[in-house]
Amino acid sequence: MRTRVPIIDTDIHPTMDPYRVVDFLAEPWRSRFASGNHGPGTLGYWNAAGFLQADAVTDTGEGIASHPETLSRLFFDVYDLEYGILNSESAIHIGVGPDMDFSAAVLSAMNDVMVNDWLPTDPRFRASINVGPSDPQLAAQEIHRLGNHPGMVQVMMGSGARIPYGQRFYHPIYAAAVEHDLPVAIHPGNEGVGITGPPNATGYPSSYIEWHTTLVTSYISHLVSLITEGVFVRFPTLKFVLVEGGVSWIPPILWRLDKNWKALRQTTPWLERPPSDYVREHIRLTSQPMEEPENPQHRKALLEMLDVEQMVMFSSDYPHWDGDTVDFAARAFMKEQRTQVLGETARAVYHLPRASATTPVVPHEATAHG
Amino acid sequence: MAERNQSQKPERWPVARTADIAPGECLIVSIKRHSVGVFNVNGEYVAVLNVCPHELAPVCRGRVSGTTLFSPPGEYRWGRDGEILSCPWHGWEFDLLTGKALTDPRVRVRQYPTEVLDDTVFVVL
Repeated sequence: MRTRVPIIDTDIHPTMDPYRVVDFLAEPWRSRFASGNHGPGTLGYWNAAGFLQADAVTDTGEGIASHPETLSRLFFDVYDLEYGILNSESAIHIGVGPDMDFSAAVLSAMNDVMVNDWLPTDPRFRASINVGPSDPQLAAQEIHRLGNHPGMVQVMMGSGARIPYGQRFYHPIYAAAVEHDLPVAIHPGNEGVGITGPPNATGYPSSYIEWHTTLVTSYISHLVSLITEGVFVRFPTLKFVLVEGGVSWIPPILWRLDKNWKALRQTTPWLERPPSDYVREHIRLTSQPMEEPENPQHRKALLEMLDVEQMVMFSSDYPHWDGDTVDFAARAFMKEQRTQVLGETARAVYHLPRASATTPVVPHEATAHG
Repeated sequence: MAERNQSQKPERWPVARTADIAPGECLIVSIKRHSVGVFNVNGEYVAVLNVCPHELAPVCRGRVSGTTLFSPPGEYRWGRDGEILSCPWHGWEFDLLTGKALTDPRVRVRQYPTEVLDDTVFVVL
């Protein structure tokens, strides 16, 4: 498929080969991981149709997103992507395990598999540095280890976390990210997993539909925390990407936040401007899952309340069950917004050169992590 | 078999032997450049355009199964085995006997008539 504007997909999920993860682990984590103990998985909710698109497999039944070559040929080529950001499947779950040394070692090994096995195979591949939120010192070490790698363009954590992301506890992560000029992103899916506590403020939902729908509450809470705690006052160059957290809730929450600020600003005296100003400047959103109201005009009206061109970046979430195709997402935005949403905002956030200027990313030296 | 001509009038296209498509299975064929899934729904042959009305996924590559019937809260009643097609992308469920989405009868997959003569399945398109 040919499209008129460059497309950068900001959320694609490759599956890391666990045998390769073992190759990059030092003992005792190598033995632990090789024995099948990979740390926390999901809460075990049920999606009758499965969590992956049922047709995201090759003719021989291999997962298209399990191999760099098939992901290139059967996804990047098909949708004519200029770049895609690869966010490793399962990293956000492992990142909130109770044993932080183990979590950090596995995430480092997964990052190494990305750097060695994936990035060198296709100049369109970019990836996130996975870190765990529970031990910011370890996370910062990992950011410094890989932060200058040209293929690693963002720091990634799950939106399930022990405490809100605005708190000072996380400053080492933000300081390290800013040092390497990397945006920090959060991705949903580990709410309720490991040591994150209940998935939403009311506790443990019974079903996947309830859990999945209310994931947005993590995003509301983290966003308000980031703003009111003054993270962007302290780190004025930091960009924070809310991946897969939805878009439609942002305007009304910002109305509420701005209104509260007018009365309550004494408690957050570092905010010199309305909170929504900081959001516009520092927060970026990925488009998937597109909300689909019965009347499409309602979505259009809602998007008018947001600085779409500055804030929203296309994402497919491939190969997950709730993904969006490029065409479907493009139609949801106004014509004059598409260039920004489909590629240019992401190009700026991730400092991506125009495709003609790209060179393959060089392999990184393999090292084991203890 | 009817004479084929160049008009747009629907024609009968032989697509399979009846034994080639077992109950619950689907054969995807190409007719007039359309990808069409031919399902055996408990002995009845059903032809479906292989395009989901939602995001245009190849819907016929989805799972055929039963589903949970409407029931009081906390109860689960399974039924309609072999009659429900779930889209491989987003899991939207379609009633193979009517083409309608279970959540919204206005949303439907496109269906074509079928005929069985002797042991041959035809799609009319």
